[in-house]
Amino acid sequence: MKSNNIQHLYRRIGFGILPIELEKLSKKSKKDVVNSLFKSSKKTTKLEVDTSEIKDLFSGSMMMSGSKLDTETRRKIQKISREKQIELNVAWIDRLTNSQEILREKMTLFWANHFVCEDNSINYIQQFNNTLRKHALGNFKDFVNAVSKEAAMTKYLNTKQNKKQKPNENFARELMELFTLGVGHYTEEDIKESAKAFTGYSHNLQGEFVFRNRQHDDSEKTFFAKTGNFSGEDIIDIILEQKQCANYICGKLYRYFVNDVIDETHVNAMANVFYKDYNIENLMRFMLTSDWFYDDKNIGSKIKSPIEFLVGLKTMVPTEFSNPKQLLYIQKLLGQTLLDPPNVAGWKGGKNWIDSNTIVLRLKLPSLILNGAYISKVKDGYEDAQMEEKKELFKKKFGKRFKTKVNWTYFNTQFKNVEIDEFQNHLLACEINESAKAYLQSLEKVSKQEYCIQLMSLPEYQMC
Amino acid sequence: MDRRKFLKQSSLASSLFMVPSFVRAFEQVASSKLGYKRLVIIQLSGGNDGLNTVIPYRNDLYYKERPTLGIAKNEILKLNDDVGLNPALEPLKRLYDKGYLSIINNVGYPNPVRSHFRSMDIWQTATDSNKFSQSGWVGRYLDNYGKQPHSAIEVDESLSLAMKGENFNAIATQDAKSFYNLSKDPYFKNIRNHKNDAHLNEHNLGYLYKSMIAAESSAKYIFEKSKTVSSKKEYPNNKFGKQMKTTAQFINSNLETKVFYTSLGGFDTHVNQINTQKRLLDIYANSVEAFVQDLKDNDTFKDTLILTFSEFGRRVKQNASVGTDHGTANNVFVIGENLKKQGLYNNMASLSDLDDNGDLKFEIDFRTIYATVLDKWLEVDDEKVLNKSFKQLDFI
Repeated sequence: MKSNNIQHLYRRIGFGILPIELEKLSKKSKKDVVNSLFKSSKKTTKLEVDTSEIKDLFSGSMMMSGSKLDTETRRKIQKISREKQIELNVAWIDRLTNSQEILREKMTLFWANHFVCEDNSINYIQQFNNTLRKHALGNFKDFVNAVSKEAAMTKYLNTKQNKKQKPNENFARELMELFTLGVGHYTEEDIKESAKAFTGYSHNLQGEFVFRNRQHDDSEKTFFAKTGNFSGEDIIDIILEQKQCANYICGKLYRYFVNDVIDETHVNAMANVFYKDYNIENLMRFMLTSDWFYDDKNIGSKIKSPIEFLVGLKTMVPTEFSNPKQLLYIQKLLGQTLLDPPNVAGWKGGKNWIDSNTIVLRLKLPSLILNGAYISKVKDGYEDAQMEEKKELFKKKFGKRFKTKVNWTYFNTQFKNVEIDEFQNHLLACEINESAKAYLQSLEKVSKQEYCIQLMSLPEYQMC
Repeated sequence: MDRRKFLKQSSLASSLFMVPSFVRAFEQVASSKLGYKRLVIIQLSGGNDGLNTVIPYRNDLYYKERPTLGIAKNEILKLNDDVGLNPALEPLKRLYDKGYLSIINNVGYPNPVRSHFRSMDIWQTATDSNKFSQSGWVGRYLDNYGKQPHSAIEVDESLSLAMKGENFNAIATQDAKSFYNLSKDPYFKNIRNHKNDAHLNEHNLGYLYKSMIAAESSAKYIFEKSKTVSSKKEYPNNKFGKQMKTTAQFINSNLETKVFYTSLGGFDTHVNQINTQKRLLDIYANSVEAFVQDLKDNDTFKDTLILTFSEFGRRVKQNASVGTDHGTANNVFVIGENLKKQGLYNNMASLSDLDDNGDLKFEIDFRTIYATVLDKWLEVDDEKVLNKSFKQLDFI
């Protein structure tokens, strides 16, 4: 398989690829490369932080006072839960950087901005996150059903409050508007009727699904011109019978993995594959083996999300944050904090990631966290005698804000056999703009490290 | 406004340099005479307890529902025979006495949501409570009427959803100097060549280059323009006080910014509310008074309107921890020099006619306030921004 195609593939289904691995894969065929992606994502490795402290508090308090938590314990649990959410966020970033199941992880990240949910209980949100992971490449119908029964989701979209006597339409509406069909492909009546079918959906304290029979409305419902005593599962069946559901999901996947601009022919081809059995793995295999996936117009044409940008940096140059809160702080400044979506519609993505603040930070961040804020501007044939002092000075001045341990040795080993003139092929997904190219040519290539920082500080580095 | 239009307008703006100087001199006179109207939004995050802010001290139900949380009659700063302010709001009372304050009571929206995130989301996006939007109302104002990223500034580290449009975002900065420093590495200047900028296309990479150029010029503009003015006023020494001081500096240096956004958090008072809320209201009122004075000293108050809101009010009945739980309708403060209706804009909410949760039933939709401000103050088409028509109020 051609090197630039492998790089494109890995930038989209992962966060980039390093030279040694690239060298290995370039000897294989496209089919083999894609197959091995699915093979290594067969397994699902749960992402978990230790929450036993909370579980102990729960059971201790329950024994003391029966079924209700006292205020003090509740507060304690909330406090630990907040800290654990930070831990889970950091563990997730770490997982994205180091996982063998890279396709499954990238899909999980995609689904997390599709089935958008948040909850302040660490146990529920962790469970939800692993449900995304489990079904990421599975069957879409099972997936939607599983999501509809998640504790965090029944809380987030109020299915818990959806009762026979007092229906709450929140989940039913978003199920169709955001999760399956898209705006305009259902009526207000469809929402009202399907909301009835989801009455009784709830969960217990452990976060397991509970169906409350007495709150369920078992009257007849008319939904998409069908009438019957439909359950929640029946409603999901009927929704998936609509071809529009396959169209909608394929459009979203296309925008995420291929190009912001939809190509109707390709999306239709995907929808035809998906509609057959709603098998996500088959659909992704179809996409990744299609010739059009590797078209020039698709390569290097997307703007990285903040997480793609951050994890991509860490993939090229391993970087640890001494204080995990700084990692969260950077996510916040870049406009995408994992586990903390703006609302159920999720992040808009694409050009919307970029504004005056985020573009300035994105251009400056590689040098900030990897290189003492230093971007070499030494003219060709010269050297900067004060380079090290400048980096030291920065560390003193801003070290507290971004305290990182950077593993340049790893980077140098990876790039040992790569000529410096070849670097841009590994670090950038698109051609460098003429004036930037001219400027770079006028500069001295001080070292592989300094040149890497120079390339990462270009707008071109924001593309994938 | 879409990106293309925006760029056209900014190239129009730069061609102003070609205009004979007397014409530009005339324009400057015109704009300082006619005034440059600005809106300052203050968000009280966490759900400020409106009932202990603007207090119906003659209403027995108030003391009945809040036996240990109600504020004693003799402590209350009385506005009239029925209504008074929290004792921490002495500075606000002074603004009220001068006719600079309009209190709009019982503001909310249909089918209220009692989650902080969601309710704040509704206030920031100005959508119905069962609809979701990926753009905020100030952001959509920028989409249609913004000229530069700094047409709206959030005086904070990052942008709220309120400040993000469909195609155009505001700028966030609480420290103009460090933002400028971050943007001005000569490396970034050198990687682009002005002559080539015209060839940057509308695709993603071109968009990145354009954003980079716009950001750098906004950062420079904000820093260089605002450093010409420094405030001598004393502000409370805390984050909010600093935000208001920075905002005053931006306004007094005549930055061409139409909307400023600031916030003060910590109002989620479930436990031992009295002192926490007093401390916060004290910070709020003292900062706002200093701000108003600062603007008056520079003759910019007459062109500034300050809007204060919180995502919801709190339950009428106090809880078991001498605090209050999440509620619904709340009061909104409008502060300005030439208010059409000073003092209490409307009556207090009924404490007897409550909803099933024991919460207030709202009377005024918050979006009618936005619509009024957009139409009468910022003088733009409110329907374009709110995607819906709302009847307007009469406070300005």
